[in-house]
Amino acid sequence: MLLERPIQLAPVPPQRAEGILDLDGDVRGVPLAEKKRLIEAYNGAMLAVSDRIVDTLMTYRDEVSEYWYVNSEGAVLHELRPEVTLSGTAVARRDGTIEKGLESIGLRRGWRSVQDKAAGFRAVAERAVLLLDAPTVTGGTYPVVLDPELAGVFIHEAFGHLSEADFVYENPQAREMMTLGRRFGKPVLNVGDNGAASGLRGTLPFDDEGTPTQDTALIREGILVGRLHSRETAAAMHERPTGNARAISFRHPPIVRMTNTYIGNGRGTFEDLIRDLKLGVYACGAFGGQTMLENFSFTAAYGYMIRDGQVAELVKDVVLAGNLFQTLDRIDHIAGDFRWNQMGGGCGKGGQFPLPVTEGAPHVRIEEALIGGDLPND
Amino acid sequence: MIDGLLELARRRLEQGGGADALERRVERTSVAFEWGRLKAAGVTEEAGVNLRVLHRGRVGVAGTTNVGAENVGAGDAGAQHAALLLDRALASAELGEELALAFPSRAKLPRVTTHVQRTADASLARLIEIGQFLLERLTREGCQVNVAIERDVSDTRVANTAGAEGAYRSTGVAVSADVWRIAGDDVLAIGDAIESTDLPSEDALEGVVRSITSRLDHALRIVAPPEGALPVVFTPAGLSAVLLPVTQGLSGKAVLQGISPLATRVGQRVFDECFSLTDDPLAPGRTASRPLDDECVPSRGTGLVERGVVQRFIYDLETAARATTASTGHGKRGIFGKPVPGYTNLILGESGDGRRETWRELGGGLLKGINDGLLVDDLIGVGQGNVIGGAFSHPVALAYRIERGEIAGRVKDAAVAGNVYELLKRIAGLGNDARWTGSRFTPSLLLEGVAVARR
Repeated sequence: MLLERPIQLAPVPPQRAEGILDLDGDVRGVPLAEKKRLIEAYNGAMLAVSDRIVDTLMTYRDEVSEYWYVNSEGAVLHELRPEVTLSGTAVARRDGTIEKGLESIGLRRGWRSVQDKAAGFRAVAERAVLLLDAPTVTGGTYPVVLDPELAGVFIHEAFGHLSEADFVYENPQAREMMTLGRRFGKPVLNVGDNGAASGLRGTLPFDDEGTPTQDTALIREGILVGRLHSRETAAAMHERPTGNARAISFRHPPIVRMTNTYIGNGRGTFEDLIRDLKLGVYACGAFGGQTMLENFSFTAAYGYMIRDGQVAELVKDVVLAGNLFQTLDRIDHIAGDFRWNQMGGGCGKGGQFPLPVTEGAPHVRIEEALIGGDLPND
Repeated sequence: MIDGLLELARRRLEQGGGADALERRVERTSVAFEWGRLKAAGVTEEAGVNLRVLHRGRVGVAGTTNVGAENVGAGDAGAQHAALLLDRALASAELGEELALAFPSRAKLPRVTTHVQRTADASLARLIEIGQFLLERLTREGCQVNVAIERDVSDTRVANTAGAEGAYRSTGVAVSADVWRIAGDDVLAIGDAIESTDLPSEDALEGVVRSITSRLDHALRIVAPPEGALPVVFTPAGLSAVLLPVTQGLSGKAVLQGISPLATRVGQRVFDECFSLTDDPLAPGRTASRPLDDECVPSRGTGLVERGVVQRFIYDLETAARATTASTGHGKRGIFGKPVPGYTNLILGESGDGRRETWRELGGGLLKGINDGLLVDDLIGVGQGNVIGGAFSHPVALAYRIERGEIAGRVKDAAVAGNVYELLKRIAGLGNDARWTGSRFTPSLLLEGVAVARR
């Protein structure tokens, strides 16, 4: 007996189900040459933007996986899961200055869904060229508006991982920090994780322990109301499983993971968010983000200054850094323009990468946040 | 084995064609203690074959993990698998890029010990014992401890149709430990990790304990961060942000892409005289060491930067062919996808003896002359954004204020920024605390004029 305390699993009624997800033009019937022509066309669209584009990288990847889940309680689940991802990088250069643009599409669909996407790839190459002339944002604290893409990455990285119950269930101090009922934000803030949302990359009928997926509220009107569970963490915390036990493949155990994580819709338009800002930063897209405990750092793909209530000049090297608790609490306005951001790549945790997930958000305003870039004493 | 596969390729390929293949089998034993108790212990095994062909002047690649009980190329089922894999590589070559790829011929391989029998023989119970030792030594009031141990035993075989081949068995043990302390909304995590082909000695484990507890003790006191252009000590673990642009810039791939600031600087003094960087695939006891790379090129040390002067870039066969130079033996490949250039063991400073992993005092003796400055042990967001240009700006994850030559306490809510190419022109000091951090051997570095900001 190795384990000091045996692991308990919260009960889940065993299901029998057959799920064929929408293959949307089954990729298995498409010849390799045709896939190559597709990415050559998108790659060509990026290269054709300017002779300042010195390098591009374009990748296409698809898979259809046949999935079986059975357990000794009687569950038998069978699914056919498609996935297709496209990603393009354009590198613009002039003398010593190098800028890049990234476009990534990831869908739990098939061949038809990745046609006619040249415009998006062209747009990031154009932006990379424009960034060559853009000034570096001046570091400091500003009111910051996040576009839906960056807001989605932010909520996944900065808050989502803390709401995974395996972070708290055996750690009394972490449990205290994440006590249900604690205020995390103003009443405008609603956050959730919805594995049952229709047609997204993180969507599945059941998780990898056979638990049906669901829409789980995490923050409701600013108050922490839920967390994400596997059967093991749910049992340990006397809560209900939420269908968030996922494994990237048969080589790995299912652990608590996000699915489609979102900031709920607010009211009004983007213009409403910036109208009363004399000076601010509009941070767009994400080159990457990392959270370390309660601190985070996100690199926006690009940004604009906001001056006198209007979007002004393009700026680069927009790095948003801060403390999670402070920053969540400073979200004071959320627009009503929610969208899911269907990117490729995926989430990594415990050596399991890349797990298909989706993030979604409307435009979100933070009253005050630190923007890196040129530090004051540079 | 891949010999049957290459034999088949020889028969199918036309004049001027060629192929190389890699077979790797890894058995990994993992032990994890989470929040102070044994959470998981188990064994996984993974094996696969990667095949590359040069066919009608174009390169194609295919990989499979369908090697099962039957080896690819052996037996009837094996022969079928081999034929299928070759078909896929040839189909990939039809669409592949044109490339004058030259496969190396047979060569004498250097001697390097990659395998320690007692590591391979160590029982699960022995690995759990190592974890328990760390757990007991690190447990303290108000803290939670995570420990992970991974022992790998892997067999690699690589060969090509030009007659080159090599095979080796390697062992590796990676031990990592983190101590977490959450007090209100202050979350502190301090960890260390060691890795070797051999089982860790008690001394090495004690080093992990001292490294963590000493940094934890200093971290309990929180002080205000300094501000301005200041002297900053980057510990071996904290150096990542400073070294990443340099290693990216020294990759032949970045040079070919036209994005390396070092592309035109070979033979020039770009860094301080005390800055030397070597890649050593023959370093004893290291898990990244091997007698040849994944493309049959024999291993040898590569001087990248010598006394501040840029010497050369790393290349695999493909990037070397494109740059019309020779591979430096840095081909790395997985089961799927084509080889890419990658480092083995990076060594900063004069390469020499006395490579230890044991813990020395924080700062490696560099703190003495610092009146007000920062010691950086971990940064947030390293690798994000436009790394290769050399500019960086990161909030600190773990950093300490230095006052009058001593650690005053931990700082939160601070960020450091600068340009690596500017900062490394003058290095104010190399610490006496050189150690391995993963596959990188460095001392602490003292850099001056690093921008430190509060937030």
